Amino acid sequence: MEELKYVGKTFERSDAVKKVTGALEFVDDMHFQRMLYAQCVRSPYAHAKIISVDMSEALKLPGVRAAICGDEYPNRAGLYLEDRYFMAKPGDTAKYMGEAVAAVAAETPEIAEAACKLIKVEYEELPAVTNALEGMKPGAPIIHPDLAKYKIASIFLPEAGTNISHHYVLRKGNFEEACKQADKVFEHSFYVPHVQHVPLEPHACMARYDADGKLTVWSCCQSPYAVRQALSVAFGMALNKIRVVSPAVGGGFGSKAGTTLEGIVIPLAKHCQGRPVKLVYTREDEFVNAYVRQGMHATIKTAVQKDGKILGVQNRFVWDGGAYTEYGVNITKAGGWASAGPYDIDNVWTDSYCVYTNHPVGGPYRGFGMCEIHFAIEQNIDMVAKAIGISEVEIRRINGIRPGGHTGMNEQVDIAGYQECLEEVIKDIEYDKPCEPSGSPTKIRAKGIAGGWKAPSMPTNAGSSAIIRMNEDGTFILMSSGQEMGQGVSTVLPQIAAEVLSVPPEKITFCCGDTDYTPYEWQTVASRTTYCAGNAVKLAAEDLKNKVLDLAEIKMGAVKRDLEFKDGYVVHKIYPDRKYPISEFALGIAFPDGSGYGGPAIGVGTYTLENNINTDKKTGLAIYHPAAYWTMGANAAEVEVDTETGNIRVLKMSSCFDAGKVVNPALYCAQAEGAMVQALGTAIFEELKLKNGRVLNKSFMDYKIPTADDIPEFSIKYVEHAEPNGPYGARGVGEPLMVPGAPAIANAVYNAIGVRFTRMPITPDDVLRALREKKE
Amino acid sequence: MKEFDYLQPKTIAEASELLAQYGKAAVLFNGGTDLVIQLRENLIAPDYVIDIKHIPGLDQLAFDQENGLTIGACVTVARLAADDNVKKYYPFLAEAAESIGSKQVRNRATCIGNIVNASPLCDTGTPLYAMDAVVCLESKGGKRELPISEFITFVKRTAIRDGEIVTSIRVPYVEGARGVFTKVARRKEVDLSTICGTAVKIKDEYHLAFGAVAPTPVRMPKTEALVRGKELTDQLIEEAGKLARTEVSPIDDVRASKAYRLDVVEVVVKKSLRALR
Amino acid sequence: MKKIHVRFYINEELNELDVQPNRTMLSVIRDELHLTGTKVGCGAGECGACTVIVDGKPVNACLVLAPEMDGMHITTIEGIADHDGNLSPLQKAFIDHAALQCGFCTPGFIMSATALLNENPTPTRDEIKHAIAGNLCRCTGYIRIIEAIEDVANQNKGGAN
Repeated sequence: MEELKYVGKTFERSDAVKKVTGALEFVDDMHFQRMLYAQCVRSPYAHAKIISVDMSEALKLPGVRAAICGDEYPNRAGLYLEDRYFMAKPGDTAKYMGEAVAAVAAETPEIAEAACKLIKVEYEELPAVTNALEGMKPGAPIIHPDLAKYKIASIFLPEAGTNISHHYVLRKGNFEEACKQADKVFEHSFYVPHVQHVPLEPHACMARYDADGKLTVWSCCQSPYAVRQALSVAFGMALNKIRVVSPAVGGGFGSKAGTTLEGIVIPLAKHCQGRPVKLVYTREDEFVNAYVRQGMHATIKTAVQKDGKILGVQNRFVWDGGAYTEYGVNITKAGGWASAGPYDIDNVWTDSYCVYTNHPVGGPYRGFGMCEIHFAIEQNIDMVAKAIGISEVEIRRINGIRPGGHTGMNEQVDIAGYQECLEEVIKDIEYDKPCEPSGSPTKIRAKGIAGGWKAPSMPTNAGSSAIIRMNEDGTFILMSSGQEMGQGVSTVLPQIAAEVLSVPPEKITFCCGDTDYTPYEWQTVASRTTYCAGNAVKLAAEDLKNKVLDLAEIKMGAVKRDLEFKDGYVVHKIYPDRKYPISEFALGIAFPDGSGYGGPAIGVGTYTLENNINTDKKTGLAIYHPAAYWTMGANAAEVEVDTETGNIRVLKMSSCFDAGKVVNPALYCAQAEGAMVQALGTAIFEELKLKNGRVLNKSFMDYKIPTADDIPEFSIKYVEHAEPNGPYGARGVGEPLMVPGAPAIANAVYNAIGVRFTRMPITPDDVLRALREKKE
Repeated sequence: MKEFDYLQPKTIAEASELLAQYGKAAVLFNGGTDLVIQLRENLIAPDYVIDIKHIPGLDQLAFDQENGLTIGACVTVARLAADDNVKKYYPFLAEAAESIGSKQVRNRATCIGNIVNASPLCDTGTPLYAMDAVVCLESKGGKRELPISEFITFVKRTAIRDGEIVTSIRVPYVEGARGVFTKVARRKEVDLSTICGTAVKIKDEYHLAFGAVAPTPVRMPKTEALVRGKELTDQLIEEAGKLARTEVSPIDDVRASKAYRLDVVEVVVKKSLRALR
Repeated sequence: MKKIHVRFYINEELNELDVQPNRTMLSVIRDELHLTGTKVGCGAGECGACTVIVDGKPVNACLVLAPEMDGMHITTIEGIADHDGNLSPLQKAFIDHAALQCGFCTPGFIMSATALLNENPTPTRDEIKHAIAGNLCRCTGYIRIIEAIEDVANQNKGGAN
């Protein structure tokens, strides 16, 4: 195969100059004429009936232009399950502490804030569900009594009359039989609390409703088309009357996927015709009123032979989905899909429950359930290994999935880089060698490993499209709605087009984020963009190339098979002196008589996964390929535990993943670095402390994420076993790179001080308590 | 933020007059790193904000062996941490100042503000308590001084009287004094103390001051008495650590548990004494 | 509420404004001067996204009240590249090292690092980490930011490594 020129090389980010000069405009930087400011009134109760909302006093305040409550919302909306109004309605209930119950638009932010204080809401407090396990029990308060009436994607199985919005079932083989055959059966339980994505840019959104009925929404969203769809359903508006623009996203990680605060400003904009209404979240809002990562209770039973072969696992995952699980039902399913971990196990029984609670709304968070389940799975496998007296490395070598092996859903995987990645990190961190001494008898060092995997959990018909246009000078405009949010889409997708067109990427300007102009992309989530949007881009570039070559045949008196794109020219393969710059074809060609033909040059690409078939609804087993691809890999971590203060320092983290084909090595490594630090944050710092439905630490004072002084030494490797249907063999990596981080750290901590932490984060307090108890 | 009037007195007398005039409706404004947050979150809603940074003479940072270190009200913790005299004669105070917040915060926050804010965990508190620092106050009615241990009276409460401004804090100079400051927090940087402590050896005494373990920073009279004038053997240090636990009253809070704080107090007392052997 | 007249330099340009005392410098910079490179990340001095340089020192603009701007010399991210758009060595280093992803925290880091390098042209890695500990980033994992700053420090040393 010819060597690639652009894919596989590090190119400078196309958006870097704007970002280092502060010139890139985020939504809150946009200032429009006659702009109004929105603010919300939010429920002080975790669960309460809304008796009445009186906005009369607020409307009298000078400078207030509109005030709304939940009455403005005729329809529920939601991505997979339509269970939420964008604002709680009078006569209905507020389902979490902080849920919006009213909002105003005013001339200044101060007036908006003052107006909100004048809105009188009468509540009747109701008993709240603040624990998912409790919420599943009979007799628990029912948060969504109308669950049976909600529109839901057919693959999900809600249990009417309960708080369970999805019960995912997987029955591969027979776990009970496996237990009978096994030498030992272990049961371990884990808990992962809520965390928040903490994008540096808080959510912001602006909407303007024009007299001709067109609604324009500017939002820092990952998926403008998903927002457009949700607003269309919620407000009964035609899609061509809604335009969603995402000018820039200051960090997403899933928090800006789907639809979050956009719904609040739409009715305000409607009442302030022609005036843009802007709503910006504070950091406190961000912790409570944007998506959060749901908490998860896990129990894993493992039937194992004494030689280390795992005969079966039984998993029970209970997800604290929060007040609305329009997104969470899919996380529950994704967790179920991957529930065996990257291991080839013949008997896998999993029950994964999505449970409504009166907690902040659980949504997609980098990993989409994988980080949570792997915290359990990867510690569990260490625990089982130690209990039967074999090494944690050996048990992974024995059971880790290999090419030709089968997933927990009995899907055959022909490519599986897991073992290679495992060996790579073990070698890289010198796992068998003791750590360098810490220099102090009270600071103990050790290493740990963990594997992980992820597949995109997207609808089987999730579509991508791209349009590429050649300018008259042979440069290009590439339009896609794969959203740049820092991960590098605006650099990587042009690299793919550049490879097809044989021009340097800087000749291709990338546009995204506007449903009126950039074509459909299902969502920028699921680590699917390089693969799905990348395929659409590749197809669009090939389409343009094809059309140009059709014209080149005429102009050059040759046949297509003998012509190629090379370094900005159409060149004859046999007679390379016969060539034209591609710009010659930008507006078509001209015949000798001067008449024109065949332009302008524009290529269209659309991509939907082939034969991506949902699993069997009853057994959860694969019928064909439910997953587009599995991205597998491993982390190793070295930690130092201060046994006097309990502080944990992560000294080193090593990563190796099977990326299929790394399109831009620097950007790949950058993603790996960010992912590992994010994992470190969840492992030792982060938790949204919830008490009776209240978030106690909704600010950076008491919700700590890693700083520059907390990072480990990084070692980043990758292997490349091509994904057959990926553009140039690429598969998605953004989320998988985070998955094994936290359990690798937890396993290392165990290896250091002999204490197993089945709950994240492992705080200094936890460490000292455990050491104290160990002594007693 | 609620509306307020912003006043810039040019003398202490003027500031004092304004305080007397407006009483509870006014707050003094210095570095702003605590106050602006309180204003933003509507924890306080004054009608008048009195900025003292335009009063000449409040930004002096001076040292001499007779009077010790004089820290003017408007001296930032960044300046305090970088000062050669502070680093030489009170390195534990420089360290404590450097441990506050981030560089950005340290360039605005003041030591006096840190003390007047009277959080139980104020990072510059324990070095000052350990050195028996003196708080200097002035109003239009005159001046007075108060030992720091009498100045902070409870959580966020001080003995400041109506119309008074803290103009400086004076830290005595004791030749040969050696000290160590320890901050234990969840995160290495930019975090509030879970506990903080300063131990200073002055002649044959060991002064022990701890923060975030009681409603105010506290000294440990019993533990100090135990080790006064004695050779610090391993066993004595062990005893001191255990006794220190009885002299603090930490609580469970969002940052840490009571049990954790007690354990760490013991650890820090022991480590500090070992370092001062 | 009486407005306060303030006179200050921002990116070396003289400005005079009447400001509301209950606004922050961050709000004046963004909403009245329309210099939106300085960002609102938390409003509470914890994240550093609003870092600007005042009289040579990095501060959080969200913790400075508008009236305090009187007499200040303020530099924001817009004042780092020159008027012809030539980037500073630090800005170039950020690009070279791919030390940015979503870009929201980037102005704050560049301001903190610029202030550091002005005060100490050859900081050690530990000094760099300590200087930027008040700037949060969620995307990058910080290492490339540190390396970009080190790159400039090395350039200042004359390339000696």
